[in-house]
Amino acid sequence: MKSLNRSIHLLEDSLLITLLVSMILLSSGQIILRNFFDIGFIWIDPLLRVLVLWTALIGATVASRENKHIRIDLISRLFSRRIHLFIQIFIGLFTSSVCTIIAWYGAQWVLQDYQQQLTGFSGLPSWILEVIIPLAFGLIAIRYLLHSLCWLGMFIRFDEGNNCAL
Amino acid sequence: MSFTAPLLLLLAIMRTPLFVVIAASAMLGFYSEEIDLSVISIEIYRLAEMPVLLAIPLFTFAGYMLGEGHASQRLVNLTHSLLGWLPGGLAIVTIIACALFTAFTGASGVTIVALGALLYPALKEAGYGENFNLGLLTSSGSLGLLFAPALPLILYGVVAQQMDLDQPVSIDQLFIAGALPGLLMLFMLSIYSMLQPRTENLELEKRRPDAWLSIKQARWELPLPILVLGGIYSGYFAVSEAASVTALYVLVVEVLLLREIKIRQLPGIIRESMTLVGGIMIILGVSLASTNYLIDTEVPTRLFDFIREHIQSKLTFLILLNIFLLILGMMLDIFSALVIIVPIILPIAVGYGIHPVHLGIIFLANMQLGYFTPPPSV
Repeated sequence: MKSLNRSIHLLEDSLLITLLVSMILLSSGQIILRNFFDIGFIWIDPLLRVLVLWTALIGATVASRENKHIRIDLISRLFSRRIHLFIQIFIGLFTSSVCTIIAWYGAQWVLQDYQQQLTGFSGLPSWILEVIIPLAFGLIAIRYLLHSLCWLGMFIRFDEGNNCAL
Repeated sequence: MSFTAPLLLLLAIMRTPLFVVIAASAMLGFYSEEIDLSVISIEIYRLAEMPVLLAIPLFTFAGYMLGEGHASQRLVNLTHSLLGWLPGGLAIVTIIACALFTAFTGASGVTIVALGALLYPALKEAGYGENFNLGLLTSSGSLGLLFAPALPLILYGVVAQQMDLDQPVSIDQLFIAGALPGLLMLFMLSIYSMLQPRTENLELEKRRPDAWLSIKQARWELPLPILVLGGIYSGYFAVSEAASVTALYVLVVEVLLLREIKIRQLPGIIRESMTLVGGIMIILGVSLASTNYLIDTEVPTRLFDFIREHIQSKLTFLILLNIFLLILGMMLDIFSALVIIVPIILPIAVGYGIHPVHLGIIFLANMQLGYFTPPPSV
């Protein structure tokens, strides 16, 4: 379990690095090619846009490792740590369920595009470009489920400890 | 449906991730209209259909790189050597350096971390009061949001472009529109700082860095604002092109030329910066879905009709809007406010004859002010 977790982290991190470096090289390479050599490749722009989507979603899964998503914190200070922890358990489960639903319906959409053999730019199958959406939301759902379990454990043990980083 | 809105609001203020709240509201909406929920994923995929979004990861990465190296130190030295002779010089140095740094790094948190540690002791030494120093630093942290190529401006442009308005909203126009109000804020704050009482510290004057030397030290960073701002304002670069030039330039300078950032530090910086990007863009993605639902069900139109019954004049509306946004800015961070609130108020404002670019600047200026107004400011 630990090593699976570590491999997923490694995969996410290396994907992020690859994606960002490719975006920088492709986009600046395109500017150089166009301005100095008058050459352009039509696949660069659509590819760059898909890379942005992938970067965004993988960045979002990484943010869910440590529950670092943007949120409003107005009233948690009113509660004791213990009540706060109790609420967090439910918030985690809610987050997990919402992401599961998105992932589930997203997977059906991707599957449909796969069966209909739709193609995106340069003849690439659409499903390959889209598949990150159900994958990312699925992973976020799993992570928040684990966060909730961890918070539940802390609640039962009267543990006032720190975060449940995955 | 009536009980779900307060419930979602309650979830939102109890630290539910915002993207979940927005996604849930969109899903409930689509579900009640009997639309298949894969529509959420399809809407999120539209993130891959907007060329300008490329600017978000690239500028954020460049900003994190600048924050990690010693660029902030050089920027402070440079402004200090050039402007330090003014009355209240160091405070003005703080204001200008922070504004420039924020415009490039996009998030005010980065500025406070990178520059605050440098400037706070310096301000103290210069004889300013404790409260003034803290106030100046935190507020300076969000100055610069109105200058190109700050992310909030870009994000506002992206959101506004989704709205199918009659008047086109170009991000270049936003950059031009933000310049004057932004300068005005810098100017006012500088005047205020000049009037601040402080105990003179003559020692400090002698230590003002040599202008020529600090220019020389900052020689690699100096072309950056000229390249980016010149490129964007002259129309030579599109925003996303400016972002890719900036990212490549900063990468080459910090890693290869100055060698302040080691290659092995890069994965960490990339992960940190892309976590922020992911956090913002997943909210943008799901809000594309909720915005679509809002427009389909004509919520903004109905709201406009409702407000129209009570407020006739454009001026009254603008004043009330400002108050509303100021309060909102205290509670929401800029990025979430942009994607959640703009789709609702933009059509209403347009209904009152306010130009979308105008609204954008009003919106961001208020968010910026609300940001350093208590209570829960960062």
